Amino acid sequence: MAGRKPEHSNKRIKKKSSSLFVKSDFFDYSLLFIILFLVAFGLVMVYSTSSYTAELKTGNATYYLKRQGIFALLGIGTMILISKLDYHWWKKWSLLLMCGVIGLLVLVLILGTASHGAVRWIAIGPVQFQPSEAAKIVIILFTAHMATIKAARIGNLKIMFKVLVLPIVAVALIAKENLSTGIICAAIALMIVFVTSPRIKQFVMMGFGVVALMGIFLMVASYRLERLKIWLHPENYDKGYQTLQALYAIGSGGIFGKGLGQSIQKLGFIPESHNDFVFSVICEELGLFGAACVIAIFVLLIWRCVMIAMSAPDLYGALIVVGVITHIAVQVIINIAVVTNTFPPTGVPLPFISYGGTALFGLLVEMGLVLSVARQIRISKEY
Amino acid sequence: MPKTYTKKKIFVVAVGMILILVLLIGRLGYLMIFQSEYYMKKAESLHERERSIKAKRGIIYDRNGVELAGNKPVCSVSVIHSQITDENRVVKSLCDVLELEEQTVRKKVEANTIREKIKSNVDKENADRLREMNLDGVMIDEDYKRYYPYNSLASKVLGFTGSDNQGIVGLEVAYEDVLAGTPGSILTLTDANGLEIENEAESRIEPVSGNNLYISIDINMQKYAEQAAIKVLKQKQAKRVSVVLMNPQNGEIYAMVNVPEYNLNEPYTLVNVEDLYVAPQKEEKEETVETTAKQEEKTEEEKKENKSENLTEKEKQDALNNMWRNFCINDTYEPGSTFKLVTATAALEEDVVKLDNTFSCPGFRMVEDRRIRCHKVTGHGTETFKQGFMNSCNPVFIDVGARVGVSNMYKNYKKLGLFERTGVDLPGEASSIMHKEENVKAVELATMSFGQSFQITPLQLLRAASAVINGGTLVTPHFGMYTTDETGKKTKTFAYEEKENAIKKSTSETMKELLEAVVAEGSGNKGQVAGYRVGGKTATSEKLPRGNGKYISSFLGFAPADNPQIVGIILIDEPVGIYYGGTIAAPVMSEMYSNILPYLGIEADYTQTDATETSVIIDFEDTVE
Repeated sequence: MAGRKPEHSNKRIKKKSSSLFVKSDFFDYSLLFIILFLVAFGLVMVYSTSSYTAELKTGNATYYLKRQGIFALLGIGTMILISKLDYHWWKKWSLLLMCGVIGLLVLVLILGTASHGAVRWIAIGPVQFQPSEAAKIVIILFTAHMATIKAARIGNLKIMFKVLVLPIVAVALIAKENLSTGIICAAIALMIVFVTSPRIKQFVMMGFGVVALMGIFLMVASYRLERLKIWLHPENYDKGYQTLQALYAIGSGGIFGKGLGQSIQKLGFIPESHNDFVFSVICEELGLFGAACVIAIFVLLIWRCVMIAMSAPDLYGALIVVGVITHIAVQVIINIAVVTNTFPPTGVPLPFISYGGTALFGLLVEMGLVLSVARQIRISKEY
Repeated sequence: MPKTYTKKKIFVVAVGMILILVLLIGRLGYLMIFQSEYYMKKAESLHERERSIKAKRGIIYDRNGVELAGNKPVCSVSVIHSQITDENRVVKSLCDVLELEEQTVRKKVEANTIREKIKSNVDKENADRLREMNLDGVMIDEDYKRYYPYNSLASKVLGFTGSDNQGIVGLEVAYEDVLAGTPGSILTLTDANGLEIENEAESRIEPVSGNNLYISIDINMQKYAEQAAIKVLKQKQAKRVSVVLMNPQNGEIYAMVNVPEYNLNEPYTLVNVEDLYVAPQKEEKEETVETTAKQEEKTEEEKKENKSENLTEKEKQDALNNMWRNFCINDTYEPGSTFKLVTATAALEEDVVKLDNTFSCPGFRMVEDRRIRCHKVTGHGTETFKQGFMNSCNPVFIDVGARVGVSNMYKNYKKLGLFERTGVDLPGEASSIMHKEENVKAVELATMSFGQSFQITPLQLLRAASAVINGGTLVTPHFGMYTTDETGKKTKTFAYEEKENAIKKSTSETMKELLEAVVAEGSGNKGQVAGYRVGGKTATSEKLPRGNGKYISSFLGFAPADNPQIVGIILIDEPVGIYYGGTIAAPVMSEMYSNILPYLGIEADYTQTDATETSVIIDFEDTVE
């Protein structure tokens, strides 16, 4: 491929894309570094937050660390593999994957094993599999693909609805059991459509519509209204316990924190501190400084992805990256907002850092997609 | 390449997201800088547990260094609810081993608190049994329990401690500051289950052990005195017998007995005096008594048991308080004839009487309109003051008292410390009950002259007597001598007030002579000790209300008469049968002294007292009224 001429290569690449692997001189090592850093930091925090309770419960302090580490290694391997693939290859499979995910989500509703009150898991042997995590990736791939096909006419609401119909089905199925994941998935699909469409007004209108719907939803489901009350006065409710404990942890961190591993709140005060509330322990141990650094790394990650999206070789690549950005950013924002009691409590893990094998694996797959898009950026044209 | 508007939108959305993240950093800043202190305090109060470390309580030794109150290792058992895995097993095991009621244990086991104490002062044996059961959530902590090696010895002096090792009565409470030490504390951090976090002890203040206390009690004298007291208690079926032995020169109390004593290791078990009367012979009796009588006895016993079981909580508490009382200090009584030594002292001090002044006793004396009788109804006839003293003749003292007069009498009472507490280092000392000086008329003065119509404590009398015989120094009776730290180094020597020249030396000399004569030839002759010069005075006080036939027989004696090294008083409360102090109390003192004086290293001199050796040993049963 050495004699490849960039100006005329567009078609050739498309042709080439039918082959599975793409050769490229470019690899976004900065992004890779950010990802690896986040994964490593995540493992450290998972160990820090879980070791004490793991020791008490299972007698093995590294119980959670090991499980998370296995997923991280698998995920990184898969990420590298996917980054070598031509992302256009996924186009063929997106409809099939979408249908498969919807099928799985239905299956979860019917057969799923109970966990954390709501049904979200499918147990495959010893591994608990969360279809909603797969759904996020599939929604990204499917919506990006559909939006690319219909890009020219997506301003038309009917066309836009056609693009979104299957994702909406998936979102509805997810939201039935887990509202916050549903919102994230909906945000991913909407964001992809939003950046594809030349219009703005209809999205603003839709925004208002969503807010109104949310309001109605809150009114109907009384337990969600209760959440609002807990949010405003966590100290008055038993269910505000977790939020209050998180605030204690954050507050006692101060500017520079107690030092890595020195959190007291993780010793059972914050239930399952290695999960959704891991950020509060980061605050306690590393202080405002450390917490701001963690957020800064997420900003860096988002910014790097934005750069990739804006210089992607085609719309499809850009939309995949936008989906991934949306997924990560929304989840980071909701998680931190919930932990700091800026937002009513809801269970959203912090990407890369919270404990959860499926979620980490899914994120690394997404990052593999971003890296594969980045590999096809034609740098020579930029200069 | 994506369209320009797509890029624009991506850029705007990304900037929006980053902006939100920056805002969240701002929110964090607010929480972690401005709210930091508030949340940190809340979190700390959630994590911190202050656990106190008990200080080892000081040991109480007698004057020879014999341990009277020490510490025994015991354990306290508590449960931590969140760590219990098998609730039923825990409850059952605790009930079995600790012999507790299931309901109370279950309540504590189910209480969702950090730590619930089940029982303290658990024997090491039982604690080890519990340990071996390996129960989750059951904590066993080593602890110390106060232990009294001699059980009931000097119980009313030593006192005992409560569940937290704090002094409750007696010297244990009087010297609480010295003995208790300073508890240390560990400020620990705990996890959500209340488990202490290792290596996270923020601060540890070591406990300071209490000081050891050396008291003036001599265990051997105390034992002699207690044995003698129990013997006479049994023989006279008395309600109680009290003995105080003291060094009249400095106020150190060698022995203070109040039988029945109680077991300091079981201070909440009521002691029945009547059990003491029969206890040693009980077995013999049961063997010889016919079956019917046996049954009767049993039913009677059962009744008695039921009685004590049926006591209400308040009644039981009153009974316990009464049992713990130290009669020598906490209660007052009418001293009776022993008090004549005070009247005589006052008369000599005021120089209103000479030993050879003569008085006449027709068996009574008319004071105003009252006819006050002498104990010898036929009268002593004409007698000198010395003879009147030896005879304990009431009319003589009525006359002498009148000569002294009210104000001089009160002045001398005051000199002998009868209006003040003795200052003994035991809690709850009673004050004397005296007529107001302005209310004392001839009749009152007359009765006071021979020890009636007012009340003092036995120890007050002993203190006054000490001043009379030691040359006029009013000492402070006391137990505490000095303290040492754990290593045995002396930390504090107690000093006690002594008022010298409370009375004239010459008065003291004369009084010794008079008191020796009482024992040598007078009413106290049964207090003689072979080979020793003993001085003393007897008394038989009728308890109020008069005419109920209840008496306190007492004898106050000291030796050697010329240079008193020991002074003692014995009081027999409500003896059955013969109740004259000279007959029943004096011989007990004599018996004690015959053991104690050689023990004190005072050599006997038989040359002088050959004449009196016949009356040394007296058998009560042979004495006929």
